[in-house]
Amino acid sequence: MKDLSIQEKAAPSGFARQKRIPVGCKDKNRATGWFLLGTAVLTVISIAYLGIDWGKLFSRIPDIGVVFWKLLHLDFSNMDLIGSSLLETVSIAVLSLLYSLILGVIFGMLAAKNVFRLPVLSVIVQSFFTFLRAVPTPVWVLLMLVCLGMGPEAGVAGLCVHTTAFFTRSFAQSFESIPDETIEALEATGTSRLSIFCNAIFPTALSQIVAWTGMRLETNFSECAILGMVGAGGIGYVISTSLQGYDYGTAGTAILLVFVIAYLIERIFVRIKKKFR
Amino acid sequence: MKQRIPLIARDQKRLYTWFLIIFAVLFAAATFFTGFNPGVLIANGDAFWSFITEDFLPPALPASGKIANILSSVLVTLALALSSTAVAAVLAFFVSLFGSETISPFPKCAKFVRGFATFLRNIPALVWAFILFSSLGIGTGVGFVALCITSFAFMVRAFVETMEDVSEDCIESLSAVGASFPQRVSQAVLPSCMSGFLSWFLYCIEVNIRASTIVGMVGGGGVGLTLFSYIKSFQYDIALSIILLIAVMVIVVDQITARLRKEIGK
Amino acid sequence: MEPVLKFQNVTKNYPNGVHALKNVSLEVQEGEFISVIGPSGSGKSTLLRAVNRLIPVSGGEVLVDGEPVSRLRGRKLREMRHKIGMIFQNYNLVYSLSVLQNVLHGRLGYMSGPRGIFGLYSEEDKQAALDLLEEMGMEQFAYHRASDLSGGQKQRVGIARAINQNPRLLLCDEPIASLDPSSSKTIMDLLHEMTRKRNIACIVNLHQLDVALKYSTRIIGLSKGEVVFDGTPEELTGEMIERIYGTSRENLMIGGAKDEAADSLDCA
Repeated sequence: MKDLSIQEKAAPSGFARQKRIPVGCKDKNRATGWFLLGTAVLTVISIAYLGIDWGKLFSRIPDIGVVFWKLLHLDFSNMDLIGSSLLETVSIAVLSLLYSLILGVIFGMLAAKNVFRLPVLSVIVQSFFTFLRAVPTPVWVLLMLVCLGMGPEAGVAGLCVHTTAFFTRSFAQSFESIPDETIEALEATGTSRLSIFCNAIFPTALSQIVAWTGMRLETNFSECAILGMVGAGGIGYVISTSLQGYDYGTAGTAILLVFVIAYLIERIFVRIKKKFR
Repeated sequence: MKQRIPLIARDQKRLYTWFLIIFAVLFAAATFFTGFNPGVLIANGDAFWSFITEDFLPPALPASGKIANILSSVLVTLALALSSTAVAAVLAFFVSLFGSETISPFPKCAKFVRGFATFLRNIPALVWAFILFSSLGIGTGVGFVALCITSFAFMVRAFVETMEDVSEDCIESLSAVGASFPQRVSQAVLPSCMSGFLSWFLYCIEVNIRASTIVGMVGGGGVGLTLFSYIKSFQYDIALSIILLIAVMVIVVDQITARLRKEIGK
Repeated sequence: MEPVLKFQNVTKNYPNGVHALKNVSLEVQEGEFISVIGPSGSGKSTLLRAVNRLIPVSGGEVLVDGEPVSRLRGRKLREMRHKIGMIFQNYNLVYSLSVLQNVLHGRLGYMSGPRGIFGLYSEEDKQAALDLLEEMGMEQFAYHRASDLSGGQKQRVGIARAINQNPRLLLCDEPIASLDPSSSKTIMDLLHEMTRKRNIACIVNLHQLDVALKYSTRIIGLSKGEVVFDGTPEELTGEMIERIYGTSRENLMIGGAKDEAADSLDCA
């Protein structure tokens, strides 16, 4: 009996022509479809707007192969220059990371809503760093170069701006993810807010801070490697000048080393993350 | 003296101590190599401030004829970021199907695909741009290809991870009913991973908005190039207006992607 | 004798219009063991949190050791909180730290300046915390991470943290609601023993009527923010229970120790 009623519902007209039986959920999320369609349309418009000369681009593709072939002829004769500039790049990346780590914890503490319970302060700090974060790093480095002149100071300071802004937001998020009850428990013992932060909130967030730091070291290194290309020193400068001077061997060696170090950093932090979990 | 009572287990303490030592050594070594002195920043504080207050502030508008140019350069940057990410996403989707051992019809190739992506990813976008500039010449098209390469590599890794997180069980069950590779992809992978893919895609757009500004600076066109030219010609107050414009552009795009992500994740 | 805690016509209205406490007045003497019972939403949690001002009251006055709480700010407020230990349903430990560090958090309120901020505890404090853990049979876990413990063990650490404050008053917010029956007994026995030995007044929010009857010297019944019962366990009649929970007794799960609860209910 029951079966019958279901059949009737599926084909209320009872005619021989079968209606298509839907298989999806009724309240399917339509946003995805519209989003894909919208993206496709916008992409087509964008490509049209850019007006790229595709014919020219494709005709030159063989040239890429030639350049790669030349890059592969590694030239180690300039190793001392490459080595020292690579060392400088890594050092700047590490230094900016460490300084930003300290600054990030302090500002993250101010930006988190649950540490000092001062909503106005959090909003001000958050929006200030949102602005800093919105401007790409090389722009900051360029400005620092203008302000401070050539040298590691400009690199470190410029990288610090963006890294600190990044850390402030991520750390504040980590701090805020700590359950309010834990904080309440320490509040009930009569502990001051700074003490609660250092003894409960910070240790709980530590593993996440390590993860963020590792992720940021990767970014900082690659950011640092390109700084030379906008006019600061380091390995990027070596790459851009030797490419422009058709010294492909040296450029190839430098690029390979950049890759190796970036890869090593990635692997090391995958390890560390496992250990700290 | 009386023995101090430790607070945490010994092996944990050793771990933390090692980390502190490594950090300290890294810090000392890096400071030594670069000769970086934070005191310089503080000592130059006055000059720094006067520079900011006199040369940068207040932000100034360029000659009215240039404003349209600047706005169209912002559009170029946006178009560059969107189109390169979208093209890269489509390519990355098909490639990532072969990068996961559980899904790929050729599991042996999975490692190779991932290794290739790792290689592409670990070379910064700007380095790609320079390599391409030296072979293809300067232009928007080259910026497009450079952004495509890095976002393609990034999304291959992200997509593979998403697929391995989400769909191992349902892939298994579909293999059990005897579904073919395209069937498995369209019936199991796509439905369960779509929102994950799209959220990575949106993240990649956020990254590429910034990256396309940078690639622009060295010759890819767009607002980055405009900014660079103003800084080079010492018109810092106008440069500051453009920086503010870039910040607004990035923040607006971040807001939009955040909204979209929420909408799609529903 | 000066009461440890005094509520004078305390009311609490939340911004969403809920009246959590209505005109509550009560006194707690030294060494009392008080259970607060009542249905969910009757204001039990609010009552406890009003004591140490985790929730500020909207009217009336709370006095701890004769001192009005509502006017305390900053350091004075923290000094008042030293005197009041608190235990939570979900233990609320810092799980990434060692058990010993969690117990020592009870001393943070007494430490001022950088010593407190960086957690530089004195040797005496550490020794006292270790002794306390030993008293509770937890000494072998002192260097374990708090996240590795079972529920009952976590609650014992919570009690140790509160006792380590040297409190005059202990507030327990449903301490056994997340525990199995056997750990529940251990915890209640421990609470009872610790507070008796140190002459600490103790206020426990409970859902288990039988537990309340067994351990308390006094029971307070809350219903919709009002004190509807305040007396010894013997005085708690069946009708009283029905009034507190707003339903007849056959609709209530009175608790595991059936005959004990029934006995005291019947004889009352």
